[in-house]
Amino acid sequence: MKKQSAISIQCSVIKVVFFLLMFGGFAFGQQTAPIALKGGKLLTITHGTIENGVIVMENGRITAVGPASTAIPRNAKVVDATGMTIYPGLIDSETHLGLTEISADKMTNDLIELSDEIMPHMHVYEAFHAETELIPVTRINGITNAIVAPSNTDTLPGQDIFIQLDGTSARDMIVAKDVAMPLNFTGEQRRNDSFDKAKFPQTRMGMAAQLRQTFVDAQDYMKKWDDYNNNSAADKEKASAPKRDLKLEALVPYLKGERPVVLAADTPGDVDTAVSLAKEFNLKFVLNHVRHSQKVLDYIATLQVPVIVGPIYEQPKENERYDAVFSLPAELHRRGVKVLLASDDSHQARNLPYQAGYAVAFGLPYDEALKSITLYPAQVWGMEKQLGSLDVGKTANVVVANGDPLDVKTDVKHVFINGREIPLESRQTLLRDHYSK
Amino acid sequence: MHRFLSRCLCVLMLLCASSLLAQQSAPKSSDVLIKNATLLTATHGRIEHGSVYVKGGKIAAFGANVTAPADVPVVDAAGKFVTPGVIDSHSHIALDDDVNEATSPIVPHMMMKDAFNYTDKQIYLALAGGVTSALLLHGSADMIGGQAIVIKTKYGFSRDEMLFPNAPRSIKFASGENPKRVFGGKGQLPSTRMGNFAVQRQALLEAKQYMQDWDEYEAKVKKGDKDAKAPKRDLKLEALADVLRGKLMVQIHCYRADEFLTEIAMAHEFGYKIRAFHHALEAYKVADQIAKEGIAIDTFSDWWGYKYEAWDAIPWNAVMSMRKGIRVAIKSDSEDYMRRLNQEAAKTMRYGGATEDEAIKMITLNAAWIMGVDDKTGSIDVGKDADLVMWNSYPLSSAALADKVWIDGQLFFDRSLPGYGMPNYKEGN
Repeated sequence: MKKQSAISIQCSVIKVVFFLLMFGGFAFGQQTAPIALKGGKLLTITHGTIENGVIVMENGRITAVGPASTAIPRNAKVVDATGMTIYPGLIDSETHLGLTEISADKMTNDLIELSDEIMPHMHVYEAFHAETELIPVTRINGITNAIVAPSNTDTLPGQDIFIQLDGTSARDMIVAKDVAMPLNFTGEQRRNDSFDKAKFPQTRMGMAAQLRQTFVDAQDYMKKWDDYNNNSAADKEKASAPKRDLKLEALVPYLKGERPVVLAADTPGDVDTAVSLAKEFNLKFVLNHVRHSQKVLDYIATLQVPVIVGPIYEQPKENERYDAVFSLPAELHRRGVKVLLASDDSHQARNLPYQAGYAVAFGLPYDEALKSITLYPAQVWGMEKQLGSLDVGKTANVVVANGDPLDVKTDVKHVFINGREIPLESRQTLLRDHYSK
Repeated sequence: MHRFLSRCLCVLMLLCASSLLAQQSAPKSSDVLIKNATLLTATHGRIEHGSVYVKGGKIAAFGANVTAPADVPVVDAAGKFVTPGVIDSHSHIALDDDVNEATSPIVPHMMMKDAFNYTDKQIYLALAGGVTSALLLHGSADMIGGQAIVIKTKYGFSRDEMLFPNAPRSIKFASGENPKRVFGGKGQLPSTRMGNFAVQRQALLEAKQYMQDWDEYEAKVKKGDKDAKAPKRDLKLEALADVLRGKLMVQIHCYRADEFLTEIAMAHEFGYKIRAFHHALEAYKVADQIAKEGIAIDTFSDWWGYKYEAWDAIPWNAVMSMRKGIRVAIKSDSEDYMRRLNQEAAKTMRYGGATEDEAIKMITLNAAWIMGVDDKTGSIDVGKDADLVMWNSYPLSSAALADKVWIDGQLFFDRSLPGYGMPNYKEGN
C-alpha cells in the first residue's frame, strides 16, 4: 500500500487552526480565576488513570495534572471531586449540530443542498446556527467538541467545521472551518434511479464517473491557476486570470492533500470504488461507516487509515449475525485500525458515550473506546495539541461525572469548556424545573 | 400454459411454506433450572444467588432456595443476571411496509395479523436483545387505526405459533401532527387538530348508533320476535362498537398536554377507557390528570425534537410522570432501539432517579400491562410463562448483553452458539 494514502494532518491545517485559536476561536468566555478539581479519578487518556488526583485549569488551559500532592495555586477555586470521574471533553466525529432544529420542519433544516450531487463549495460555517437549543442539551452530557457535517445524500455535500460547544456566536464556537470534506459512496446518494425521470447519474457507475470528471476538472483548474500564479509579476499583468469556479476551487486543497477527505462507504464494493477514486487523485482520507464490510476488514487494515465507525446501530444485512455491526469497532481494532466513534446525529448526539460503552460490550478494549471519542478524533481533526486528553498545556475541556463515562446511568456533574464552567442547563432542564414546581 | 404456471407456483409456495415451518424444530423438553443468578424479578425485587426452576414452559419456583428433580438440566448462571423477558409495547416490526392504511382517517377494521410477516429478521434481532413479547401496532397516520397483535418472538416458528395465546385485543388511535399531515397534505379532512377530533367524534357517533341498532335487534330476538331484521353488518362500525363495549383496549398515539385532556374528554363522552397514551412526551405537564384516569404512558427515554409535538420532550418525563402515579413503560417504536431497550430503561435511573425495580418494570411488567398480558408474563412469578433473559452483566447499563433468552421455557437464543445463536433455527430454504 502506498504510504501517502495514510492520513497525516498537514502543517497547513495546523497553521489555520492556530490562526483561529489565536485570533478568533477562543476570544469568548475567558476563564476568570484558576480552578482546581481535587480528589477525583482522572482518566488522562495519554498517561493512565490517576486515583485521588488533582487537575488545575488556568486561563483556559490545563496547567497541572497529577496525584493528590500536586500544587494548587492559592487563588484557585477548589472543587471537591471525591468519588467523581474526571475525563477530557468528548469529541463527536460526525454530527449535524447547528444545521437542524426540528427535524420535521424544513425551514429549521440546513442539512444538505440536493440540487446536485457535487456541492463541495457548500460551507457548513455559513449555515451553522450557534444559538441552537441542541448544543446545550448535548454539552451537558460531556460532549465539548464535534465535527459538524452536512447530511450524506450527496456524493460531495460540502465541507465540515470543527466546533466547541460553547460560545455566544458562531465565531466563538467554530474552532476550524473547512476542516474536512465528506465523500459519500454508500448507495444513499443514488436518487435518480426511477426510469421515468431518469437523470444522470442513475447508478453507482454514474456517480463514480461524475466524481472522476469533477476531480479531473479540478486538477485542470488547479493547474491553470498554478500556471497563472507562477507567472512573474510583469507576465501576470499581461495574462488574464483564469475564471474563478467555486466548485472546483473548493476541491483544490483536497487535491493538494492539505486536508482529509472523509470517505464514507458501506459494502466491500463501495469501499473498493471509493478508495480507488481517492487513490487515483491522491486524496488524504479517513474511512467512514464501513458497516457491511466485515468480509474485507483485513484489506481495510492494510490501508492504514483511521476508520470512523458510527453509529454502530445500523441494522445487519439479511444474512448477517445480530452483532455484525455492533462488533465492528472491536474487529477493526483487533486488526490494528484506529477506530473513531460518531453519533452521525444531532438530537441524540448526547448519547455518543453510550455507543462507546456498547462497543466495549462487543469486545472493544475499554481504553480504546474512550480514545475513540477523545484522543483519536483530536488527532484526526488536527486538534491533538489542544484536545483529547488531560495533559498540561491543552485546552481545559474537562468533564466531571459520578461514574463510568460510558455508562447510561452516569450523571455529569460539571462541564468545563476553555476552563469556564458551563451551567448544566438546557431548554429541557428548564422545562423540567418549571413543571417540578 | 397459464394454468400450468400457476400450478407450479402453488407447489413452489407450498414447498417454501413447509420449509419455513420446519425451520425451528420443537425441543424435547423445556424444563430447566437456572442457578446462582442475580434475579431482578420486577415484582419481588432483587434476589442474590437465586434460581429459577422452569417446568412445562412455566416458572415453577424461584428464589434463593430452589430444588428441582435431578434429571432437570442445569444452567449455571454464576455472575450473571436473570430478568423477565423484555417486552416492547410499541413496535411496527414484521409488518413490512403495511403499517399505515392511510386512505381514510378511520380504519378500525384493519387487522395487523393480516400484514404480519413472521419471517421478518427484525424478530430475531429483537430476540437477541432480550425481547420476548411485543405489541405490533398500526401506524399513526389515521385518527383511528387498525387492531394490533401481540407476539412472542419465537423466530422460526409459524405465524400462529408466534401469536401470544389469548392476548386481549388492542386498537390504535392517533392524534396530532401525523393525521393532520397525511390528510391535510392531500387537501382532505382532517388538516387541523379540530378536524382530527371532529373526524374521531363523527366515527364514534356512528358506531354508537350501530351498537344501539344491534342491541335492539338482539333484544328483539331474545324476546322471540321472529320478524326482527338484523342490521347490515359493517366491519368498520363493528370494530368501533367493540371499542364502546370495552372489548378493545385503546392505545392512543398522543404527544401534547392539551391532546391528552381532549382524548380523555372524548373517552368520557363515549364511555370507553383509554389503556395507554403512546409517546406521551408531554405527560409530565399534566401527569395528575392522566394518573387520575388510570391511563398508562408508553414513552421514549430521551427522544426529542423530531417534530413540533416532540419539541418539549424531556428525558425526565418517565420518572416525573411515574412519581405522580402513572404506570410507565419504555418502548422502542424502532427496529434499532428494540434491540437494546434495557439501556433505554437504565436511562430513567439517571434522569429522575428511577430505582432498579422501577426501571426493570418499565420494560417488563408495565409494558405487559399495557398489552393486557401482565397476568401471564412480565415478571418472575410462579405460574407465569417462563419468558426469561440471562444477561452477561448488570442489564441496566451500556455494557450488558443477552446471553440466553427463553420463551415459554424454550431456549430461543444463545449468544455462545455460532451463526445466528439460535439453537433450533436453520436457515430456511
